[in-house]
Amino acid sequence: MSSDRQAVVARHLAKEVSSGTQTLTILHDVSLSLPAGESLAIVGASGSGKTTLLSLLAGLDRATRGQVLLDGVDLGTLDEDGCARLRAGRVGFVFQSFQLLAGFTALENVMLPAELAGYADAPARARLALDSVGLSARLEHYPAQLSGGEQQRVALARAFCGEPAILFADEPTGNLDTETGARISELLFDLNHQRGTTLVLVTHDAQLAGRCTHQLRLRAGRVI
Amino acid sequence: MSGEASALRFALRRLRRGWRSGELLILLLALLIAVSASGTVRLFAERVRLALNEGSSEALGADLVISSNRPLPEHLRESARAAQLRSAEVLQLSSVVFAAEVSSLASIKAVSADYPLRGTLRLAALPYAPAQDAKGPPQGAAYVDAKLWQDLQLQAGGEVAVGELKLRVAGVIENEPDRGNGFSDLAPRLMMNRADLDASGLLGPGSRADYRLYLAGAREAIARLVPAQPEHGLRYTQPQDARRELRGVVQRAGQLLDLAVLAAMLLAAAAVAQAARQYGEKQREEIALLKCLGASRAFITRALLLQLLLLGLAAGACGALLAAAGQSALAALLQSSLQLALPPVSLQPLLGAVALGLLMLLGFAAPPLLSARNTPVLRVLQRAAESPGAQRLSLLLALATAALLLWLATGDAQLALRVALGTALTLGVLALLAWLLVRALQPLRRGGRRGFALRFGLANLARRRGATVAQATGLGIGLLALLLVSVVREDLLDSWRNKLPADAPNQFLINIQPEQREALQAFFASHGLGTVKLWPMARGRLVALNGKPVDVESFDDPQTRAWINREFNLSWTDVIGSDNVVTQGQWWGEAGRGQAWLSAEEYAIERLHLKLGDTLTLDFSGETQTFTVHNFRKVDWGSFKPNFFLLAPEDAVGEAVPRQYIASFYLPAARRALLRELVAQFPNISVLDIDAALRQVRGLITQVLRALEFVLLFTLASGLALLLAAVEATRGQRQRETALLRTLGASRVQILAALMAEYALLGLLAGAVAAIAAQSLAWLLAVQLLDIPYGPRPLLWLLGMLAGALLVMALGWLSLRGSLRTAPRQVLAG
Repeated sequence: MSSDRQAVVARHLAKEVSSGTQTLTILHDVSLSLPAGESLAIVGASGSGKTTLLSLLAGLDRATRGQVLLDGVDLGTLDEDGCARLRAGRVGFVFQSFQLLAGFTALENVMLPAELAGYADAPARARLALDSVGLSARLEHYPAQLSGGEQQRVALARAFCGEPAILFADEPTGNLDTETGARISELLFDLNHQRGTTLVLVTHDAQLAGRCTHQLRLRAGRVI
Repeated sequence: MSGEASALRFALRRLRRGWRSGELLILLLALLIAVSASGTVRLFAERVRLALNEGSSEALGADLVISSNRPLPEHLRESARAAQLRSAEVLQLSSVVFAAEVSSLASIKAVSADYPLRGTLRLAALPYAPAQDAKGPPQGAAYVDAKLWQDLQLQAGGEVAVGELKLRVAGVIENEPDRGNGFSDLAPRLMMNRADLDASGLLGPGSRADYRLYLAGAREAIARLVPAQPEHGLRYTQPQDARRELRGVVQRAGQLLDLAVLAAMLLAAAAVAQAARQYGEKQREEIALLKCLGASRAFITRALLLQLLLLGLAAGACGALLAAAGQSALAALLQSSLQLALPPVSLQPLLGAVALGLLMLLGFAAPPLLSARNTPVLRVLQRAAESPGAQRLSLLLALATAALLLWLATGDAQLALRVALGTALTLGVLALLAWLLVRALQPLRRGGRRGFALRFGLANLARRRGATVAQATGLGIGLLALLLVSVVREDLLDSWRNKLPADAPNQFLINIQPEQREALQAFFASHGLGTVKLWPMARGRLVALNGKPVDVESFDDPQTRAWINREFNLSWTDVIGSDNVVTQGQWWGEAGRGQAWLSAEEYAIERLHLKLGDTLTLDFSGETQTFTVHNFRKVDWGSFKPNFFLLAPEDAVGEAVPRQYIASFYLPAARRALLRELVAQFPNISVLDIDAALRQVRGLITQVLRALEFVLLFTLASGLALLLAAVEATRGQRQRETALLRTLGASRVQILAALMAEYALLGLLAGAVAAIAAQSLAWLLAVQLLDIPYGPRPLLWLLGMLAGALLVMALGWLSLRGSLRTAPRQVLAG
């Protein structure tokens, strides 16, 4: 499923934050390149800069230095809304803490990205997506009525509902027990293969990382 | 290290770190408003009430009048001197006075030089000529009223003989402050100096006279002089016992001020509860962590309560300062029109206001905040782990505190209970309305083809049903306050002011004989004054009650004794005006003609302890007739129209009973000279000019309105604080949602549009709900408290909804504009 087209490219990325008079460098000169349809696991200890790198690659945050190309588009040339528009059409997310809207049903949560991307058939797409994660019987349930594993499956359905080209996942099994975590990662990779999505994954889980075609190991903000 | 010390340290640190968060600021703001509103009003309530009493004091000519039909004991004067009160002596008796060959029975009033102590005596050179302020007559001089001038056919510079004394007529009385507009003292007036009275020889042994001591000065000193049980034969009259029409205004004004403060306090309390709940929610994780680290429940309780206490003290101190400033502003407002010497500001009401603020914290903020203590320690591991809700208890405590606050603030248990029930009912109705409207939005939950922002915003309301109902209710209450303050207030107060229109009757004609009726109507018609309603009147003395003979000695109550002593004025009619309301029994209408029935007014009921069916036997100059009490009436004495304690049906009073007629009409000041023509044509008719009394009531109403407008500013501020609290309540949640939506690709414009659509609809919803409630409340206030008619106001609905949408949008934007800038990466922080 791979192609020569690069889905995610980072060149000499650095991120610094200042706290009072001190400047703290969280990421030092990170470069990477991920062809479309392939998968990358970003691994490392806590505080190594994994989530920061993910947020820079997805255009959720601005790098202090360096360049990110997402699906061929230089994020540095876009303002915040430009980044948002890019994400709406081409990027999906899965979070460690699921990030479902509490007041919305499973179906309404899944519909969201499709609605934002302007799909008129958002409800139908959402039903299909929920069906693909085995939750067609739980459409009208609220997050609080679902187990952790089910909530993450809803989050997966939401991530794929907008048919993204690139999927970012931040510790997708971090909040789940081993068994449920294994089922979720199975589902994630299955969907990824079916849809030919490019996957960028942050994880502590060596097994999950091992299923990715590429791995990037960080220590104290540097690629090792 | 003691537990208290470390809890205090923790509480201080927590406040220092958390003061920037919206809910602590709102808590502080709401508390500040409550303390300053209650403090301001408590501080100047005394001054306002004093000012209002001052208005009535004018009607009494003093702050206190002690009277007796025997010379007053000397110790009364000594006590008054010791209390540094100003005093004036007044002695009233009846005697015949002469001018050359003409004589007339006059009510003689001998006054000392300081008379009157309150209000103004106004004198003119000739009857109905322009008048000026004056004090009591000097020795050797007399003032007469227009009636006596006419009866004695006086000329400018004339003389009158009073007993053995000759007095020079030095002026015609236009207004005598303490004469009132009653009909008890209708004999023409002659006023002379007290020092001349002995020389007149009128005050011989056995002469019937009314001895009065007029006193004025510090309120406390006056209050100390009034004994719980007066000495036998002494009567104490204070401003509140004076004229009925002024008493009504003062009472209503007090109630309106109380209501405005109550509304401010309840709104502030709601904002406090809202903000405290939110603050508690934010602390849940921290509390779980503290528990996990080994903090005891007692430590957490102490730390939370200490935070509240510190907040309360800070808000109390600032509120007290604001209250001190606020009351001076009000005092300045009133002082300019009343020229009062106000007592200095005392600390006690301020401490009372701070205590009220702390009570508010205890009742409204403590329960929701303390419920955060129940956060299970498991929450450290599992964010979703929720504690069992203690919401019902919080609600009960809040309601109980609200009732207690209301009672403490007004000292009127019935009013407190009414307002508390009204508030609970209003809240219930608001919540029900909001719920119905939210249900109507349900179909919007599903996506459509276009207009994501609008649809998302609208659907959001339907999706968050519980929160929307709570917010619409909170917003509705805030908007209700704003609507009541801004629009309804104008409506109500204008109606109240207009109750005494510029052309309210200002002249009464008394003593009209039956045969003069036609000629009098012709006189009015020829001067373009139209026809006037003539009220028949027969004077009778009560001789038996339920068949049992009665006289003055049958009653203990001094007021009843005084009333029984005089003749009753009985009138008869088929119809009653809008200033009369039947409270028990039925009005007889034409069907009652010829029936020996009576309609008794509240005053008569109270004095004689009447029940329906009681019989009264009246003696009309030898003609005795027995009447049965058929119904009870309440009279609005502020209408300035002729009214009677006792009314009978037409033809109920026998033809043989002597009768006369009275009438009232409006005469513009410029046409006062017409009165001279009238009395020249009808010499026996007495003209009673109540223009001054009318002016007094109008002046009082104006002052009350000013005071009320000032107090309503606090109500307005609390309403805004509650609106802000209601919007702020969901800020954290919205911030998280905004970050997620941004991550999922929503543009800032889309999110802003969705939020604004949501807030606009929420505002419309709350505005509609508030307009319904405002309309009902205004109607209730108008009909129950102010006795004025009030109809529906369609504009109020439109205005309510529009103002609701705009205000909530503006507040929502203020509250969330920071959230719109939330970097989407925050969503990764979990």
